[in-house]
Amino acid sequence: MKKEVDGQKQKGIPLLFSIVLVFCVLGTVVLAVSHRISQEMANSAIQNLSESLDLIQHTMEYALQSEAEFQKLLAREAAASGNPEAYVKAFEKNQTMVQVSFIRQGEEEGVSNTGEAFLANELDFSSGKTVNGLPVSRSYLNHLGTWAYTLQCPVEQDGQELGTLYVEYIYDSLERALPTSFYNHQSTLYVMDAESQRFVLKPKGVGKRNAGHLNLEDFYRANGIEESGLRAEMQACLEGGDNILFYHDVRNTESLNYMWAVNGGSIFLIGYVPIKAIQQEGDTVNQNIFIVVAVMLVAFSLCFLLYYLNKRQQDKIRKEREAEREVHSRQLAEALQAAQIASNSKTTFLSNMSHDIRTPMNAVLGFTTLLAMDAGDPAKVREYTKKIMSSGQHLLSLINDVLDVSKIESGKVVLNFDTFTLNSLVSSVDAIIQPMAKAKGQAFHVEVSGIKHEELVGDETRVNQILLNLLSNAVKYTPEGGSIWFRMLGQKQRSSQYERIRIEVEDNGYGMSPEYLKIIFNAFTRAENSTTNKVQGTGLGMAITKSIVELMGGTIDVESQEGKGSLFRVELEFRIPEGQGSRQFWEENGLRQVLAVSGSPDALGDISALLAEAGVDPKRAQSPAEALDLLHNGFSCQAALVDWESLPGEGAQAVRDLRGALPSGALVFLLAEYDAQGMEEALALEDTALLTKPFFVSAFKEKVRELRGTGREKASQEAPESNVLDGLHFLAAEDNEINAEILSELLEIEGATVEIVENGQLAVERFRQAGETEFDAILMDVQMPVMNGYDATRHIRSLDRPDAGRIPIIAMTANAFAEDEKAALDAGMDAHVAKPIRIDLLKKAIWQHTGERSQT
Amino acid sequence: MKTLLKKLTAIALAGAVALFAAACGERQKPGANLLGKEEEPIKVVNLFSPMEKTDPDAENVARSATDATVLLAEEKLGVTLAYITYTAEDYQDKTYDDVALDRARNDMDDLYLLNSDVILALGEEGKLEDLSGLESAQNLRDIIRVANTVDGKLVAIPQEVVAYGLFVNKDMFKAAGLELPETPEEFLECCRVFKEEQGVETPVGANRWWLETFVLAQAYADLYNGGNTEAEIAALNSGEAKYSDYMRPGFAFLQEMIDKGYIDAEKALVSEAIEAEGPDFLAGKTPIVMAYWGAANTETAYGAPGFEMEVIGFPSSRGQMPVIPMTGFGVGINAAHKEDAMAALDVMLSDEALQVYSETNRVISPSKNIEVECVPALRPLNDRIQENVYVLGSNASMKVEQWGNTCLIVRDLLAGATVDECMEKFDKLQADSLG
Repeated sequence: MKKEVDGQKQKGIPLLFSIVLVFCVLGTVVLAVSHRISQEMANSAIQNLSESLDLIQHTMEYALQSEAEFQKLLAREAAASGNPEAYVKAFEKNQTMVQVSFIRQGEEEGVSNTGEAFLANELDFSSGKTVNGLPVSRSYLNHLGTWAYTLQCPVEQDGQELGTLYVEYIYDSLERALPTSFYNHQSTLYVMDAESQRFVLKPKGVGKRNAGHLNLEDFYRANGIEESGLRAEMQACLEGGDNILFYHDVRNTESLNYMWAVNGGSIFLIGYVPIKAIQQEGDTVNQNIFIVVAVMLVAFSLCFLLYYLNKRQQDKIRKEREAEREVHSRQLAEALQAAQIASNSKTTFLSNMSHDIRTPMNAVLGFTTLLAMDAGDPAKVREYTKKIMSSGQHLLSLINDVLDVSKIESGKVVLNFDTFTLNSLVSSVDAIIQPMAKAKGQAFHVEVSGIKHEELVGDETRVNQILLNLLSNAVKYTPEGGSIWFRMLGQKQRSSQYERIRIEVEDNGYGMSPEYLKIIFNAFTRAENSTTNKVQGTGLGMAITKSIVELMGGTIDVESQEGKGSLFRVELEFRIPEGQGSRQFWEENGLRQVLAVSGSPDALGDISALLAEAGVDPKRAQSPAEALDLLHNGFSCQAALVDWESLPGEGAQAVRDLRGALPSGALVFLLAEYDAQGMEEALALEDTALLTKPFFVSAFKEKVRELRGTGREKASQEAPESNVLDGLHFLAAEDNEINAEILSELLEIEGATVEIVENGQLAVERFRQAGETEFDAILMDVQMPVMNGYDATRHIRSLDRPDAGRIPIIAMTANAFAEDEKAALDAGMDAHVAKPIRIDLLKKAIWQHTGERSQT
Repeated sequence: MKTLLKKLTAIALAGAVALFAAACGERQKPGANLLGKEEEPIKVVNLFSPMEKTDPDAENVARSATDATVLLAEEKLGVTLAYITYTAEDYQDKTYDDVALDRARNDMDDLYLLNSDVILALGEEGKLEDLSGLESAQNLRDIIRVANTVDGKLVAIPQEVVAYGLFVNKDMFKAAGLELPETPEEFLECCRVFKEEQGVETPVGANRWWLETFVLAQAYADLYNGGNTEAEIAALNSGEAKYSDYMRPGFAFLQEMIDKGYIDAEKALVSEAIEAEGPDFLAGKTPIVMAYWGAANTETAYGAPGFEMEVIGFPSSRGQMPVIPMTGFGVGINAAHKEDAMAALDVMLSDEALQVYSETNRVISPSKNIEVECVPALRPLNDRIQENVYVLGSNASMKVEQWGNTCLIVRDLLAGATVDECMEKFDKLQADSLG
């Protein structure tokens, strides 16, 4: 993903760079074009203004020259009149020529058409400026209160100068020659007298009407023209009669300022024009350019945005599809891998099975061949049959495991909850594992601690299966002389209704590799190495174990280190059965207080807790001496539990001492390991019995019963006598001839007889026809043609004859699972014996039911 | 996402259509006359008025107020008022009044903004039209009507009552521990303290135009506020009383000021109004100057001082005394566009226009219908005027023109003439008037 993001970034950067580049290029082009247009427009503006000013200049010059021409004409006419004074006096003033005067040659005072005397020295002609050859005076305010100038023209006659004609003109008259509008009234224009630098005319149609400047200095000040260089240049133009045009801001408006010489610089046009006023169309052009560019940019951006959005959408869809494809691919790969693993596992499994089944089968067949050859040698026959039996047993366990896994995987396993005691569980496990361990010279330690309730509800068979799987593995995978620990540890209860127990199975055996640990709970796997491949097994045990644990809502985990051993932890919760009232038992047996003696505080604690829970008051003593003290100090109890290992020296003496201190009739139980030695003397004492560790109240109760003399249950649990079948007659339903023959032979060996029928229907018929005591029991196969065993049983039970309900019917079937047993019992059978038939189990079952019946 | 795309597309299409429409706009038909209809002949009224010298980046508020009324007239009447301006460059130039007289006498313009002496002169010459028939003239305060009536004709009407006063830097007065002066004696004492104790070289900033306000305030404080005004004027017009008697205390006062260096006579003689004394006053170097009401509102004058400024009346025996000369617009009797000029003036002097004018300039309006709150600095002066305590700077009912003549004679004093010589000039003027 990161790579993909990086890839996108790598793609995005050049794209962004390209866009920026396009914008930059576009911007540069636009700026260049705009700049060029601005430059051209500026040049155009300068040209435009120059032309306008030229036009005004020429117009004014034309007017001035016309005035001068006319004055010359007047001078000639005055001379021609012969009396210039009279001519002048008779001249009527007009709007242009407001005063006409004549001074005769050599005189200082002359006449004027206004009737007043005229003094030439009041006028200043010192500038030397002329209009059409006529000297022009410095501008002045005339009697009308307006700015005026006077032209001086000689009056000559016949080449002789008679005098001088002075004509006063007002600047207002020039206004008629000026445009009525100059740059839409946005510009400013004055006529300035060069000599006085006074502003002598502000044309009405030109410039802002509320602007008003007195003179050049005022113009400078008002318009902020302070630069000395610029002023000097203007001054030079003023003196030289040159034009000047320059940019200068006027009241924050960019303007073109000008000073334009008229009539060779006797007067100047002066003012400014805002650039905007000249370049109105220029602004529009620029605006349009920018609008076009902006629209292009917007369009480009829009296109890019659309492209981007579209691409993003497509990318999103593509990514989703890719992700989907990836998921599918992964799922397919996983499925393929799983299938391959499964296939490999199953191939391996089949290979293993082939090997594992062929090996005992080889033994069976091989020894059977040998048996046939050596049939005359009883010793060899026994040897061979023993080996055939062993191989058969192994083969059977293989088949059972395979079937178990199959069943678990297909979800057909049902837990059978019933009350059981931890004592029975531990005892049965101990009874199986202890001999196996002993056979391999291994030490098998059983520890039970922290258990508050030992009578629980659960599927004892399955728990047993779990424990046996774990422990038998431990035995298998621990070399000779190793140690195995089986711990049953009470955990903190999550609910008062459930006992939480952690079961630990630890060994210091071969251990497992980390790789194998990952697949240990998978079906069809088995640790393969040079050491363990000597061990036979289906590789299904741990898978079955895990499945059962999970079926019970528990957890299983494992720690292991190669060469150091393994530790399996199983956590299970069992419901505590209601009404665990055993108080009645204690009362019946007169047990209220029990003295517990042990050097281990933990063991004392466990014992006390269990006893207290069971309703007995425990008293602790950490040594026999302490116990004796207690007893001597008046403590009274009805029984004592003494940890054999905590007794000093010869334990028998200590027991004897305690026995002596205890009240008469008090029971003494010696708690000892399975294989404790040297206890015979102690156990020979009165009311003294052995209680195998770990301590369970149920075992304790059992021993109490034994010592108190009730042995009914004991009798029922004992193994049947070897000749229990002798003389019995059975009806057997069995469709398989070989099985029927084996059964017949086995029973015959045991001294019993059997009548075989081929299916359930026949069995029912045969039983119906039989006399009331003809058969001692019915041995019923389940899967049979015509009528199966369950239906046959139900029919038999439903027969209307007195023994129909009580004749023992024993299922004898290859349907060997617990639920098969349950189904058999539900159908009305009394017991269930799985095929292949083990005669001891068959005898036990037959004896239990026929024996019980005979007793009753 | 789809909605966004639709919106974007719609916007883009709309933009494209708009641009297309703009691009395919109206095209000119070939051969059509591109010039519009001939415009109506423009009615022009020439207005002659002074132009204040301008500063860059500063609006001319006083002129803006007049402009506003001009625009109103132009809008209402469809006329164009063309401005003809003149301002003397220096004291050697012809004064505005001189030029105004020349122009009015030669019928150069239609409308004139005139000072009181020019009004009186032109009124007496019959060069100004009677404005009493204007509708706007009916709203005028009596003082305006009286001051501008010559030979029974209302020859000029102002847009504001121009009151002159002393502009004082209160911070400097406080720093010197001085109270604002009421009488000439107190004023002299203030000047003494400023000059001798505070080191102010010239306590009073002056120009060649407005020193007569000191004289007029002292001369006519009793005449206009003594309850016997008409009789006293009648006595002056008949020669029973002498103008010189009224004027002497003021001239003597100015003489003392000059003698003690409280006024720089030489500088004042060649200085235009505000130009010379303004910078020092605004810079806090001069504690006292004299100016007209509007200067307190005008950015180009004293509208934005950097200290606490107050405008008070001139010292007189009756306390601080505002001096009110009358400027006003007159219409030339032979004006080329007299009818339009009269109509334009009527609009410019209407209550609507004067309301705009007064609000823009914060001045006392000549219309009795308009009251405008003045700026705080002007309150002392305004209070006196509202109490009807003031001196008229010009009065058309006096046969000797006051404002212009006094100004010119004060210039003589500044130039070195004695008080007696100045009084002789008044006597001569009075004698001439008596004829």
